[in-house]
Formats: sequence, structure tokens, C-alpha cells
Amino acid sequence: MGESASHFRLDAASVSFGKVDALDRVSISIDPGERVAIVGPSGGGKTTLLRLLNGIVRPSAGSVTALGEALGSLPAERLREVRSRIGFIHQHLALVPNLRVVQNVISGKLGRRGLLRSMRDFLFPGSADLEQIHAILERVGIAEKLYERTDRLSGGQQQRVAIARALFQEPLALLADEPVSSVDPARARDTVSLLTELSEEDGLTLCMSLHNIELASEFFPRIVGLRAGRVLFDSSPASLEPSAMRELFDLSPGEALKA
Amino acid sequence: MAKRLDQNLGSRRLLLLGIVAAGVLALVQLGITPGEMIPSDASGAGVGKFFLAALTPATGADTLLIAARAALTTLRFAALATAISVVGGFVLGFLGSTAWWPPGARRNPLRLGALVATRALITFMRSVHELLWAVLFLTAIGFSATAGVIAIAIPFIGTFAKIFSEMIDEAPRAAADALGASGASPLRVYLFGLLPLALPDILAYILYRFECALRASAVIGFFGIPTLGQYIKLAFEDLNYPVVWTYLYMLIAMVIIFDLWSGSARRRIAH
Repeated sequence: MGESASHFRLDAASVSFGKVDALDRVSISIDPGERVAIVGPSGGGKTTLLRLLNGIVRPSAGSVTALGEALGSLPAERLREVRSRIGFIHQHLALVPNLRVVQNVISGKLGRRGLLRSMRDFLFPGSADLEQIHAILERVGIAEKLYERTDRLSGGQQQRVAIARALFQEPLALLADEPVSSVDPARARDTVSLLTELSEEDGLTLCMSLHNIELASEFFPRIVGLRAGRVLFDSSPASLEPSAMRELFDLSPGEALKA
Repeated sequence: MAKRLDQNLGSRRLLLLGIVAAGVLALVQLGITPGEMIPSDASGAGVGKFFLAALTPATGADTLLIAARAALTTLRFAALATAISVVGGFVLGFLGSTAWWPPGARRNPLRLGALVATRALITFMRSVHELLWAVLFLTAIGFSATAGVIAIAIPFIGTFAKIFSEMIDEAPRAAADALGASGASPLRVYLFGLLPLALPDILAYILYRFECALRASAVIGFFGIPTLGQYIKLAFEDLNYPVVWTYLYMLIAMVIIFDLWSGSARRRIAH
């Protein structure tokens, strides 16, 4: 299998928005079941990298492979298939606030079910789905909120709904974009811990962007440092050089210009 | 910043002045003088008689029965026309909106062409008033109940389509993008990521338009369908003003009752 054994693979992938290079020849490979934290200052390209991995953003140069498919040239239909196997937890949750929790969660399966089935799911969810959703909500700790309107939930609870929606996709991999930025600091640790636990239990590949390098070191065996669109380091937290960390968050303007 | 505010204020003043000037110009062009607005003695007497009859509407059992029946017919026509318009409005509103388009679709000339064609059709449908459609049907194919419903439905479909597509395009995009990122097709993104967000506003607007449909349905009666308008017209021709007023009160009562109900319904939808 060789190359195709990895879940995600970037080969010298660049992304530019107009004149700005968001990512500059980034190469990384993530194996199935691996847990990777992408750390770095904001604006360093973390979100763009995650969006590259499920084809929301297409590379302007280089190649992206996800779940064995080269995303760059994939027709829309096949791209949707790949995406339906990748759960993406968005920074700002991206739920429909005036729907019930169960409806938000069930829409995780929209990518894999027919239109009529999806309509039925939405209005009259089947009992098998309800059981599965209830079980997922139990895992994320909000089982009693199944029929609650989503906007009546606290920020932390809404984040659990977003996680549940991604899990209901029955994904092979989870991508989480700064999941701690939408909850208060006290909850941040819980959220990271929950996501790593869930991925471990289900054997999912987890790739999470994080601003907080301490959290990353605590929960992830592999950390990728991203600054100004370039990979500064890619290593285990134990072998991470203090100088590399300093360089990652160094805010001197000269440094930023050089990068 | 302050300078820009001043400029805005300036352009607003200019707009207001422009509107007033256009109004004065229109009066002059149409040759309307204040004197003309006061009716002559003869027509003044007619007008006085008409408004005096408002105090003594006909209350005979026959008249009331006809009024009730005509009100029911008016309601039926309005409901049917609104129902057709909502369906048509959803279809054209979907085709006339761009929020559900997959990224990059804006560069597709076929899509853009279809969008422009749809929006042109929507504009055409709603720029011709329902009464004008009724006249067209009357002269082209003769008037029937179906023609009456269609005459109301055409401009209503256009209005619904325009408003629905705007509401959809203005809904927050985050949830739609998230569904797209999990592999949902554009139609599903529209149905489950955008429509639910716009639905409360859409429902409130449908209720509001139903009130307009009630009035339209009554007026279309002048063209020969048995809604309140037809009976008002007949009574008018007989100069039977008390009866005219009974029907007018019936129409007003219908609108008020519906408004009271829809007001509370709209509040429930909003929460």
C-alpha cells in the first residue's frame, strides 16, 4: 500500500489567496488512527491546512490526498463521498440554532443518504437513528438534550452537539478547528480531552488545530508547528526543542517579515 | 468619519428634496389643482350619501347570508392562490438564490445565465399587478374561477420568489458551509442548512401576504367570480349603498380577524 496507507497526505501543498500565501509548500502525512495537533500563532495557516485536508480549500500548487483520494482533481460527487467520511468540527460550531439537537445531529448523515430519506430523518427520525444519536449524546455528556432547541443550550453544550454531529457521520477521521476557542478556558481542557478520548475509542484519525501549545503537548503524541504558512517543526512533544517553540510564537516584526 | 456622516446626511437630504420635487412636478404635469380635489355639488351629494350609508349598513338576513357566503368564497380563493404562490415561490426562490451554490459555481456561465433568467422572470411576474393579469385573462380567454386564481398567483409567486430568495441569501452561512463540508449536496445544504434559518421569517411573510391575497381575491370579484367584490359591484350598480357597506364591513372584519390571529401566530413563530 505504501503511500495510500496514510489517511491524509500533503505534498508540497501551497495555498494562496490573491497575493497572500496562506500555506507555502507544506508536506505532512498522517496515518490512520494518528492524533496530530497543529499549533502556531493565529494567521499562521492552521485553519487553511485543515480545510485543505477535506477539500474545502484546494491547493494552488502541490497535492492533497485524503482517505486514499487525490482531492485536487476529484469530481464533486466523489469529493462529497470523501467528505462524508471526515467529521469537521468548526471553530464557530456552525449549527442551525433554531433546530432541535436531534435535527442538527442527524444532518451529519446528509452526505450519505438520499434526499427523501434525509427529509424523513429531519421530520420523523427513525428509531434506530434515535437510539444511535442518544448513545452519541450520552458519550459527549448531553443525552438529556436530545429534543431541546439548539440555541437554548449553553456554548459548551452546543459544542457537544457539533461534536455529536461529526460523530454521527461515522467518520474515519475528525478534523477540529480551534475547538477550544468557542468555550471558556476552564472547559478547553475538557473539550480537548473528550475529542482525544472519542478518537481513541473509535480508532479515528484526529487532527486538531490549537493555539495552546501546553494542551497540545499534554494530549497529542505528535505536534506540527505552523507559522506564516510553513512547517517549523513536526515532532513528538518530548523531543520538541524549546528554541523551536520560541520561534513559533516569536512576535518580532522582523521575524514575521522574513517568514 | 465625521465627514462621511455629513456626506451621508447630505445625500439623504438631497433624496428627500428630490422626492418632494418629483411630487410637485407630477401634480403640475397632471394638471391637478387644489380646487379640483373638492367635488362638485352634484357628485358631492352622491359621495355624502355613500358615506352616510356607512352608518346604516343593510342587516337583512338575505344580505348577511350572501355576505357570509361571499366572504367564504373570498377566503377560499385567497387560500388557493396563496398556496399555489407559496409552492411556486419556493421553486423560483430556490432557483433565484445563490447561497446554496457550491464554491466556484459563480464562474459557471450556465449557472449565471439560469440565475439571470430566473430573476428576470421573477421581476416580470411581480411587476404586472394582479388586476392587470385579470384584465388580460378576461380579454384573452374569458374569465373563470381558475383565471381568477392564476391572476392573483402570478404576481404573488414573483413576490414570494424575490423575498424567499433574499431571505435565503441573507441567512447566516456557517451551518450551510458545515453541511457542505460533511459531503451534503447543494440541494440538501439549501433544505437543511439554509431554509430552517430563514423559515420563521418566510412563514411570517406568507401570513402577511395572505392578508394581501384576501383583498386581491375580493377585488377580483369585479371581474366575475363570486367573491365579495362581485356583490359590492352589483350593489354599487344598484346604488344600494347600505348593502355595499355590509359587504365592505364583512371584508374589513375578515382582514381584522385574520390580522389578529396572524399577529399572535407570527409572535409564536419568532420565539
